[in-house]
Amino acid sequence: MQVFGPNELLADVLKKDLCIGCGACTEICPYFKSYKGRTSMLFSCTRQEGRCHAHCPKAEVDLDELSSFMFGKAYEGSPLGSYQSVVISKAGPEMIPGNFQSGGTVSALMTHALMERQIDAAVLTDWKGLIPVPELITEPGDVTRFASSKYVTAPTVSMFNKSKQLGYKRVGIVGTPCQLTAIAKIRTNPLDREDFEDTAGLTVGLFCTWTLDARDLLKYLSARIDVEKIKKLDIPPPPAEVLTVTTVDDEIELPLSEIRPMIPRACSVCPDMTAEWADVSVGGLEGSPGWNTLIIRTQKGAELISKAEASGFLVTDKMPKESFEHLSMAAGNKKARAFRQAMEDGCLNNKDDGHAALRVSPTILKEMNIESGEDNVGDT
Amino acid sequence: MSAILKGKKGDQRLFMGNEAIARGALEAGVNVVAGYPGTPSSEIIESLSRVAKDRDIYVEWSVNEKVAAEVAAAGSLAGLRSMCTMKMNGVHVASDFLLHLALTGTRGGMVIVACDDPNAHSSQNEAEMRHFAQMLEIPLLEPGSFQDAKDLIKWAFELSEELRSIVFIRGTTRLSHASGQVVLDELPETERKAAFRHDGFILDQMTGSVISLPIAFKHPQLQEKLQKAAERYEGCPFNSYTGPENPDVLIITSSACTFYSIEAVHMLDLQNRAGILKLTTTWPLPKRLIKKHLQTAGQILVVEEVLPFMEENLKVLAYEIASEIGIKPILGKRDGTLPSHGEMRPDVVAGALAGITGTSVDQRSEEYEKKVNERVFFGAPARDLTFCPGCPHRASLWSIENVLQMDNRQGFVCGDVGCYTMGLSPSNFGTLKTAHSMGSGTGLASGFGKLDRFGMEQPVLSVCGDSTFFHTGIPALVNAVHHGSNMIMVVLDNSGTAMTGFQPHPGIEKNAMGDVAKSIDIAKVCEAIGAKVRVEDPFEVEATQEALFQLLEEEGAKVLVLKQVCALSPEKKWSKKFEMSVDTELCIGEECGCNRLCTRIFRCPGLVWDQESKTARIDSILCTGCGVCASICPANAIRKTPLAANGKEVA
Ligand SMILES: Cc1cc2nc3c(=O)[nH]c(=O)nc-3n(C[C@H](O)[C@H](O)[C@H](O)COP(=O)(O)OP(=O)(O)OC[C@H]3O[C@@H](n4cnc5c(N)ncnc54)[C@H](O)[C@@H]3O)c2cc1C
Ligand code: SF4
Ligand code: SF4
Repeated sequence: MQVFGPNELLADVLKKDLCIGCGACTEICPYFKSYKGRTSMLFSCTRQEGRCHAHCPKAEVDLDELSSFMFGKAYEGSPLGSYQSVVISKAGPEMIPGNFQSGGTVSALMTHALMERQIDAAVLTDWKGLIPVPELITEPGDVTRFASSKYVTAPTVSMFNKSKQLGYKRVGIVGTPCQLTAIAKIRTNPLDREDFEDTAGLTVGLFCTWTLDARDLLKYLSARIDVEKIKKLDIPPPPAEVLTVTTVDDEIELPLSEIRPMIPRACSVCPDMTAEWADVSVGGLEGSPGWNTLIIRTQKGAELISKAEASGFLVTDKMPKESFEHLSMAAGNKKARAFRQAMEDGCLNNKDDGHAALRVSPTILKEMNIESGEDNVGDT
Repeated sequence: MSAILKGKKGDQRLFMGNEAIARGALEAGVNVVAGYPGTPSSEIIESLSRVAKDRDIYVEWSVNEKVAAEVAAAGSLAGLRSMCTMKMNGVHVASDFLLHLALTGTRGGMVIVACDDPNAHSSQNEAEMRHFAQMLEIPLLEPGSFQDAKDLIKWAFELSEELRSIVFIRGTTRLSHASGQVVLDELPETERKAAFRHDGFILDQMTGSVISLPIAFKHPQLQEKLQKAAERYEGCPFNSYTGPENPDVLIITSSACTFYSIEAVHMLDLQNRAGILKLTTTWPLPKRLIKKHLQTAGQILVVEEVLPFMEENLKVLAYEIASEIGIKPILGKRDGTLPSHGEMRPDVVAGALAGITGTSVDQRSEEYEKKVNERVFFGAPARDLTFCPGCPHRASLWSIENVLQMDNRQGFVCGDVGCYTMGLSPSNFGTLKTAHSMGSGTGLASGFGKLDRFGMEQPVLSVCGDSTFFHTGIPALVNAVHHGSNMIMVVLDNSGTAMTGFQPHPGIEKNAMGDVAKSIDIAKVCEAIGAKVRVEDPFEVEATQEALFQLLEEEGAKVLVLKQVCALSPEKKWSKKFEMSVDTELCIGEECGCNRLCTRIFRCPGLVWDQESKTARIDSILCTGCGVCASICPANAIRKTPLAANGKEVA
């Protein structure tokens, strides 16, 4: 993978509004910092190559390289990425109940992994007054504190970086597709450092169509409700076209037409809906709020699931065919949209000295009916 | 005994121009002296404050120049001799009061010494004070030697008492700060008693109420005084001419430009063709004296700093007498013979003179030329303006910069006047984005903080020194609080007027004469005004940033007082709080993860980059042991070991 330095990260990502605030470039040096859901560069740094750029999920992401690192094969461009199986799931009887977003699969898996010491710490994401706060925990009992989806840009990866500094060797992390793209990049040892260690013990991905800018959402919601009282946000499947906000007192619906403008630009070039670079990926299940869709991708993921099932932390079932088709279509659409947008924005497969956000084989683009990216020459 | 008191009548002593002025004031029997510090004027009051007890005079550093002029005027109105000092900016601050004082007139002699800073060596402009003399219609004098600088003060006091008007004296950087031989006069015993008379007839300047009205009476009276001054100027002993009887070129000059003119004439060996009229009485011009000299000369070159003030007035005069003496070419700044900006220099004057006389200015020897070229080739090391080692301003601006960048809303800081103005420069993080007059940073912030209704979402901050806070910062803060402006005023309180040399201000427990004075608590003042106030130590980097983040969340006008004594303050100098060292094993230097944050960005001169070992190290001579760099190093490589007051390590 091409690695540049902080100035390229600034020019190609931050200045182009492609930053998703994942925090992958923070907590490694004094120059990039995350605050209230946004990442900024504090002072100029002159390095030609840096981890900041190497980690960023919006700069020079070579999908073939990630795929061969994770699955030992080239990127195929299939809607759901590589996987072993897709099932539906929910927290089993052994799991402590919580304010889960859907079936509680994620919380159950993390609790189980910590209890079994498969991981020595977990990076989970909370929020305080709608401002995301990633945390590092080691106690299984703490996991449920993080239940429910925070529909905002979160610097979750910063806490993974910090966990490395603190010396944790097997860290579990729950993240959105962009966050897990960063984690995957980090795991490939992009700078070929001799002292490198892969400390990602378990990666649990969350499905994601888009997220919202934390500060914009805070501004919007605090003008309408007491944000301290929010328990849960949800985006029910189409044709609902609303964001539902559950507060301690009641539930209100806000039109998506007012919400969409808060989607970061970075989401428009994200080709990943189902967190393809995770051990397992978890999403909702249309029409069944108490259940999750669960994609098992790696061997490690498969082993975790069977152990969690065996110990009563997880219940699984067969994925209904119709739901599967729906999911594939949605994921495929997002992928095609993102490649097209990246092409239009001039950040796909740039040639010569050009810097790309994404690199994908032209054959795949052709199969998806997207013109090849050969036009993107130079630094646009 | 202080230098300006030593010596008896007739002794020759080496004095800095400002000391000569101070000595002159003592020889004139001054009673009351007030001023506000500002380069290049500060040493006048500094010298006088040291001898205040000995000479039984009253000296104060006032809160600002306007108040200084008022304090001095009170002395005059009570029948005493009073002097007021300031830099040129101060005249602008004081001018509203002076406009009225000119009309009411003075009683005891009152002299205002205002010093210009051509080239803005220590200023943010090179404005002139001379035009104020013209605008306010009061007489102006410009000493052209160190001896004059001393002797002129007495003459000015006498003139002031004769006219019952303020008299302006203009200094400039080179006259104030260079030194020269001065022959002393005696120090008189003054026995003036202060009393303010107000029981006389209202139009009687000496006994009635003091008021600038009725204008129909006071304004003509003021103009009469000015005419009288011009008359007295005809015989002023401080104007002098040297040169041939009928010079080809007559140089008319004043102030420090006298030195440059003499040097230029010598450089070109033009003693037989060029004459120099050193004019001390530059406003209003003495008509007969000018006429006498213009008559004898072929061409005239006016040499002055900065604007063509004297030149323009000379041209008016020359026009008025043209029918008698004919039209004389008067060269200077208006025709471009000399520049109207920057400091005058001997070589510039020589260049102009060479052009006029058709002589050559290039007098450099070959060897000199060679040496210059060598030096130019190898170049002087680049040095940018930076804060001293251990300067609290570096720590304060560091925190502000970090917070504003992290906040990521294009927040900005309105700067003010003090050492911290250097925060405009990129080598000091470029945190400040505006700089104007004293107190104006907070005034600007007060205005910016009201623009949210027009869509401005950027956080607005101002910085303001402790002395500046008292000078003109308070009204701006009152304005911001009253109008609910969204802004944070950061008071960089380093416990003194540090930039000009540690003069006390109302926040300090000591006055100019060294007496105990009531100190005024900045935080309490701000609280009383109604601002939300936090006080932090800028050396506590984390706490300072935390406070800033919190204040950014709050509505309205807020104040953060960052209190830490200046690294150069007499009480702090040579005392280290920490012994600093770099653990070279931990230092990651240029590697990813640091890239020399301490020596490349933070840039305290106490930190040095060791090219060989590729690690940072501490220069233990320069390091003041403030400990701040230990909290910025991302590798925790900078260690601080606490030292006791005696410099020994704490057990
Ligand atoms: C921004 C976002 C967009 C999503 N979009 C979709 C979608 O389009 N379709 C779909 O099917 N599912 C989507 N999901 C996933 C879905 O909302 C649930 O998170 C998922 O079904 C898991 O449910 P659960 O009950 O197992 O989670 P829980 O057991 O409630 O656990 C939630 C976990 O999510 C983590 N988390 C919460 N917010 C964030 C965040 N911002 N960044 C990183 N980690 C976070 C917490 O650490 C917690 O461990 C999205 C999630 C997020 C955060
Ligand atoms: S997307 Fe993530 S890694 Fe890239 S610049 Fe933004 S915060 Fe940094
Ligand atoms: S900041 Fe710390 S790690 Fe970086 S160069 Fe200085 S001492 Fe070394």
